Amino acid sequence: MNTGFQVLRWLGRTLAIILLVILGSTILVRFAPGYLSDAREMDSRYAAEARSELAAEAAHSHSIPQMLAEEVGGWIRGNFGNSRQFDVPVAELIEPRLAVSGGLLLRGIGLAWLAALSAALISSAGRNPSLLWRTPATVLLAIPTAALATFCLLANSGGPVLVMALLLAARDFKFLDHALRKAWLEPHILQARAQGIGTFRLLVVHIGPALIPQLGALASLSIVTALSALVPVEVLFNVPGLGELAWNAALNRDLPVLLAVMVLMALAVSCSGIAAPGLADWERA
Amino acid sequence: MRIRRPVLWLLTALIVAASAALWRPGAGYARQDRNATLAAASVSHPAGTDALGRDRLVRVAVAFLLSLAGAVAASALTTAAAAGVGTLAAFGRASMGWIAMLICDVFLALPWMFLLMMVRSALPLTTSPANSAAITFLVLAALGWPASARAVYRGAQQLRTSDWMLHARSTGLGRAGVVRHVIPNLFPLLVPQFLISIPAFVMAEANLGALGLGVGEPLPSWGGMLFELNNSPMLMQTHWVYFPVILLVLVLLLLEGVAAEA
Repeated sequence: MNTGFQVLRWLGRTLAIILLVILGSTILVRFAPGYLSDAREMDSRYAAEARSELAAEAAHSHSIPQMLAEEVGGWIRGNFGNSRQFDVPVAELIEPRLAVSGGLLLRGIGLAWLAALSAALISSAGRNPSLLWRTPATVLLAIPTAALATFCLLANSGGPVLVMALLLAARDFKFLDHALRKAWLEPHILQARAQGIGTFRLLVVHIGPALIPQLGALASLSIVTALSALVPVEVLFNVPGLGELAWNAALNRDLPVLLAVMVLMALAVSCSGIAAPGLADWERA
Repeated sequence: MRIRRPVLWLLTALIVAASAALWRPGAGYARQDRNATLAAASVSHPAGTDALGRDRLVRVAVAFLLSLAGAVAASALTTAAAAGVGTLAAFGRASMGWIAMLICDVFLALPWMFLLMMVRSALPLTTSPANSAAITFLVLAALGWPASARAVYRGAQQLRTSDWMLHARSTGLGRAGVVRHVIPNLFPLLVPQFLISIPAFVMAEANLGALGLGVGEPLPSWGGMLFELNNSPMLMQTHWVYFPVILLVLVLLLLEGVAAEA
């Protein structure tokens, strides 16, 4: 199968996923209890007839095809529609937060990979799996993100980047330690070690390239895990990022904002997913 | 198998201890002792009380049992859904398999917490505590199946092309017969999926609760108890507020220990 066809296939699948995300989110939020509620309906100055007219108007102006048309129109115009809660274009809300969340994710993932890789390199050099490295990783995996963030807040040390990094590092370490331990026991590596080839050379020339496809898959997993941790971390640390925006939008049924964030997330996950098979092909070549 | 037995015993001991805590005379998760707010550990309140004077041990016991029961039920539903979808996708028409996997991709393309948050917020936020608990775990079950369904689909596809299955189908085994023989053969795949989902659901409930989207008060939950930790003056008065979190981590370690050995 040639590369062009594979890219087209990936694009088609990603587009279908995004369309289904838009459709599913719209239907879900439209039928959420209280979505059609209007503050004026609670105002006792309005007569009962006026309030029922308002309710009928709201029901009529929020039919699913109309809502979808408004959403898609907003996307075509490039402003992603208007926020129900803040009454400003969604793009204005997302742009500054994208940089905040992007920075947090990049620093968190970078720190996690550095810590996990260093720990895995040292740990895998030993003959047997060491409890010294495995215990902290296992305990960290059993701590919910919200609890870890709360502990950091209470201890007044560490911030959102540290919480994100610790969560990811624990997961990445387990994977890397297992992969490296397996790689050190490959017959050709054992032969090379017996012949006196240095550890650094073995890592750079033999083990590293062989692990690249698995590292691609791990990178995808890291991104998805980091995106999931984004909401509790940003909400608890009061970071004005996309996670906090989505949380606010979810609580206030702000469909345009919620949709825009969801589609961005779906895009990020789909794009991260393409790295793993692509790298595998490169390795096979 | 080396670790699983002590882990299972410890988990059982915790369940028995939590149930025993509920049988104490006068125990009630919503019962308030207004003369003993934020009290330290005593004979009448072995783990102290919270800011409203409610017995912390009873609340932790209820949170533990509720979360475990909810997570087990949600995990059973998820596994059953995954078994159904995965088997139908593998043994049905090719188009059915393609559509089922596309739906799985849609779910998997969204980070778990965003998806949970969106679905949970679309449902009533102000319901009775019991309903909010049921809704939380039903949402977890409704969203947790795609990853398991993918694994089951791959396993079922391998079974579909196995020698014994080809032989059985060539000798006229019908669709119902296929399903009857396939499901037991998928058990080695379904049991780990079931066990892995339990700690994941307990953790998801705690995270949702900490964001105010989980089980409603006064019903105790792990997430609700994480809220307590945000109250700094309370932490100065008693260190017992850390008790639920320590127990939560212990429970998650035990559940992950069981899942890892499966």
